[in-house]
Amino acid sequence: MGMWMAGGVEEDERLDRGEAAHVIRRTFRRLRPYRKQMWLAGLVVMVWTGTVLAGPALVRYAIDQGLRDRDTGALNLAIGLYVGVAAVAYVVYRAQIVLINRIGEHFLRDLRLTVFDKLQKLSMPFYDREKAGVIVSRMTSDVDSLSELVQMGLLMFVSNGLLLVFSLGLLVALSWQLSLVCLIAVPFVLVASVKFQRDSNRAYLDVRNRIGQTLSNLQEGIAGVRVIQAFGREEVEADRFGSTNRELFDSHMRSVKISAWYLPVIDLSSVWTTGAVVGVGGYLVHQGDVTIGTVAAFILLLSNLFEPIQQLSQLFNLVQSAGAALNKLYRLLDTPIDVPDPAEPSHLGSSSRIVVENVSFAYAGGPPVLRDVSLEVDEGERLALVGPTGAGKSTLAKLMARLYDPTEGRVLLGDVDLRDVSIAELRRRIVVVPQEGFLFNATIGENIRIARGDATDDDVRAALGALGIEHRFLSLPEGLDTEVQERGSRFSAGEKQLVSLARAALVDPQVLVLDEATSSLDPGTELLVERALERLMEGRTSLVIAHRLSTAQRCDRVAVVQDGLLVEIGPHDELVAKGGAYADLFASWSGGLAAR
Amino acid sequence: MEATTKSRGRTLLTSQLRTQLVGVSIGVLISLLWSAAKVSVPKVVQVAIDRGIEADDGDALLRWTLVIGALGLVSAVGQGFRRYFAFREARWCEASLRDRIYAHIQRLHFAFHDTAATGQLMSRANTDLQQVQSFVVMIPMTVGNFIQVVAATVILLLINPLLTVLALGGLPFVNMLGKRFSEALHPEVMAIQEESAQLAGVVEESVAGVRVVKGFGAEPIQAERLRVEADDVYGASIRAAGVRARFLPATELIPNFGLVLVLGYGGHQVLAGALTIGELVAFNVYVVMLIWPLRMLGQIIAQWQRSVAAAERVAALLDTEPEIVDAADAVPLPPGPGEVRFEQVTFGYSEAQLHPVLDGLDLHIEAGTSVAVVGATGSGKTTIARLIPRFYDIAGGCITIDGIDVRDVRIRDLRRAVGMVFEDTFLFSGSVTDNIAFADPDADRAAVERAARLSGAHDFILRLPEGYDTEIGERGFSLSGGQRQRIAIARAILADPRVLILDDATSSVDPTKEHEIRDALNEVMEGRTTIVIAHRPATIALADRVVLIDEGRVVATGTHDGLLATNERYREVLASALETA
Repeated sequence: MGMWMAGGVEEDERLDRGEAAHVIRRTFRRLRPYRKQMWLAGLVVMVWTGTVLAGPALVRYAIDQGLRDRDTGALNLAIGLYVGVAAVAYVVYRAQIVLINRIGEHFLRDLRLTVFDKLQKLSMPFYDREKAGVIVSRMTSDVDSLSELVQMGLLMFVSNGLLLVFSLGLLVALSWQLSLVCLIAVPFVLVASVKFQRDSNRAYLDVRNRIGQTLSNLQEGIAGVRVIQAFGREEVEADRFGSTNRELFDSHMRSVKISAWYLPVIDLSSVWTTGAVVGVGGYLVHQGDVTIGTVAAFILLLSNLFEPIQQLSQLFNLVQSAGAALNKLYRLLDTPIDVPDPAEPSHLGSSSRIVVENVSFAYAGGPPVLRDVSLEVDEGERLALVGPTGAGKSTLAKLMARLYDPTEGRVLLGDVDLRDVSIAELRRRIVVVPQEGFLFNATIGENIRIARGDATDDDVRAALGALGIEHRFLSLPEGLDTEVQERGSRFSAGEKQLVSLARAALVDPQVLVLDEATSSLDPGTELLVERALERLMEGRTSLVIAHRLSTAQRCDRVAVVQDGLLVEIGPHDELVAKGGAYADLFASWSGGLAAR
Repeated sequence: MEATTKSRGRTLLTSQLRTQLVGVSIGVLISLLWSAAKVSVPKVVQVAIDRGIEADDGDALLRWTLVIGALGLVSAVGQGFRRYFAFREARWCEASLRDRIYAHIQRLHFAFHDTAATGQLMSRANTDLQQVQSFVVMIPMTVGNFIQVVAATVILLLINPLLTVLALGGLPFVNMLGKRFSEALHPEVMAIQEESAQLAGVVEESVAGVRVVKGFGAEPIQAERLRVEADDVYGASIRAAGVRARFLPATELIPNFGLVLVLGYGGHQVLAGALTIGELVAFNVYVVMLIWPLRMLGQIIAQWQRSVAAAERVAALLDTEPEIVDAADAVPLPPGPGEVRFEQVTFGYSEAQLHPVLDGLDLHIEAGTSVAVVGATGSGKTTIARLIPRFYDIAGGCITIDGIDVRDVRIRDLRRAVGMVFEDTFLFSGSVTDNIAFADPDADRAAVERAARLSGAHDFILRLPEGYDTEIGERGFSLSGGQRQRIAIARAILADPRVLILDDATSSVDPTKEHEIRDALNEVMEGRTTIVIAHRPATIALADRVVLIDEGRVVATGTHDGLLATNERYREVLASALETA
């Protein structure tokens, strides 16, 4: 009874006929590997439906042929057959649960892997465009609404559909007159079911939104409890939460009212139809048109008529939301990849010289972010990229590491266009160290190893050693096996940075792209990070997105990006002496420092 | 211990349900009515068959057919109202307990929240209450089901005792299987949820950490981690399906045997003239009818156990006493200039206070002056900030504001008088105005703007899409760390506190923008008792006086320049910060 309000689909996500057909075709295509199991499952469900209907038919036979005609043999035959039917029912019921779930769960597992694989292949522009929450929801709530259907609904949907159709057929075959009596109720039941399905869909969505609202208020109240107490707002906040909570209660009640009128309508139809079958059936028996066994069979079969309608009307919501989810997932799978792997990859030479040739970049349909930038970075050189926020310096760095592809022009490593090399090979040569150290929920060792799965503990230790930070991590209670919990809330920003640097050291790339952190770290670690960074850059071609000009000052050359253009490039001292854009930036920056 | 904790959960449930006695009773009464009607239908159908059809009596047939119709009406109406009341009481129980949990969490002291995980508290108010709700909703139905079983058994016994035993003999097993099924399925369902959550965790990480994944080429490793999780979800789902496959067909098989026996023994009884055909059909219908109630009765036993366990966890939370409460004779905080004094203060976070964070600390901050508290990590500087508004109680010594011990005044007044800016600037979902006027929602626009100007937030707020009405917080417009801190400072000074505490409040401000906030702070601090916890020299220099804390004591006081010139330890503490600035 808990599932009276399962599933729901927003109006704008509801599939139209064409989309539904597309989703169904595509789903069947994905199910092709399970074709044999599906035929088997179909057969088993049919047999099961047969056993459900055989019960009343056997009762009818026993009554008419056995009891009324006083034929012990017929009675015993019916009994024997009933035993057989019960045994078959047991076996096929079991088999259909196993089969349908196995097919469904296999399908879901494949789908999860395919979708995740696609998510991984999609490149940075996609992640910049789409909201993280929406991307995650494809793999969570969308797949969940499918698995809800697989776990609770699919079997019911299929078997109830079959049961309804076969029951109707059987009723008509037994007596068309009595069938007409049953059918009188059907229009009422259908109208009620359609109305219920619509109303409950709306109510479900409302309940779901309000649960979300209540939980997010709850979470905010817990996360912000210190602020609430500091400002003495405990009671006010409790009242505020109370009203959200009350709205959730009201929403629950609205949805209960919908099922509270619908279920009795079905129940009433069922009982009244039984009454009508008894009344009319009695008259027909009197007339000699039907047998008393037929009336009994009708009474028993009626439950096979109304229950499936009732179940289907609510499963319908579940099926619809699953359809909408599949549609979204298939659309995701069809999303073109902005930074694709080449069909026939070439290989990189040994050179780590980077050449940027007349590169322009714009997001799809957007204004240009970079215009006609050309520059060269020599092997082992350190180049700082500076410029105001949004000027394009990060974009330039991303193009040089092929996180993006240029709209025009090309980027070469050695003499090879980055687009001609497989991304996996490229990542062994160019590594991008992001601004903030991000930790995964795994051990510290695994976190460092994410860049190179085959690395041993010794490799990890060597990488840490090369940066001079091994003591910081080996001294943890469980060393490299220390679990990072809640995404590393126990580790300081500086320590996360160190993990990030160790990842890079483990890959041992020729080229490093570093995004400098904007906010300052705790003083103790900041120094350690600086030193590790210095060691990491030693002997490598390095591109540094510099937010502080003190960092730029330490690089071999500085490239100044403003409004999408490379306005200046050269050593720090030269640029300062030249008195151009960089000199202005440097003057205002050092002025700010002096004011402290 | 086990017995007492269990009964605590039971006590919570019964005391809550006692307040809903009327609603629950109405639900139970309607459920009884519904059961009575439902149980009578097959009996009446039997009578109609026997006296109407078999006896070929048209009047009797019509009469009994109409009775069936009337009973159907009663049963349908009863079902609707039973459902309504059952859910109303269950949801009300859930909502009331959730309100209580939330209000209680708000009252619990800082030390409690330091150790409690948000997720744990969330599941008290969410999944645990779902368990309680699922039980309450079953109460009226269960009573009705129970009556149905008893009544149907009595009716059948009156018709034919031996056939009743044969027909219903197997049904207790249905009940038992229902309970066992529920017990076996529950852990598997939980396992699916757990595995799905882990899978979602990998996805969330891969998306949130996409820069790392792309930057280091970590796609193969993440794909492998996901495959493991997807296999786990698959395994758990198949195990759950296995449980269903083991129990559900069996719960159908047992009543089917009952039906065979009815047909076998009953059929021969009919042939022998000891039973009517109508009675035989009635037996058939009753056996089918009782399957569901018996299964439900089994399930509710298992649900009751889960609900009590959940209620126990809720009760344990509600029974946790807030430790920081008004003293019995707490007085209002009289007006004053804002003088703060620590006298021989000893304090430690751990229960045993074995490792005191503050160890006999003396500190006097004169009204209207500002003090920067400086110290290495773990020296206790943040602790000092947190003791003034009495977020924790001290173990020894005393802390006074304008000469009154903070433990003797009403907490509300105390916290009103102390404005606090935390290191992690938590903002609530709501408009900028809502956030700044947090302490005083009735504050007018002018007051909000004044506070925003003082904290240097006014200008950037005006540039937001909807100015002061812009929605911020988790789901709103996202602000930079520095912008958040400026709003947090505005929030703290809106109420014009006599003591202002800035706990590392400028740490996220972009170094290039720091001078803006510095100018603003200078104005805020003018003539107001201010305590600044900081490690950036630029922020420290804002204060009239600097206090150096080491190992829980004040080791030096003076001006920033003075200490820099004379104190080696002070230079050490600042050294790394200076080097990187």
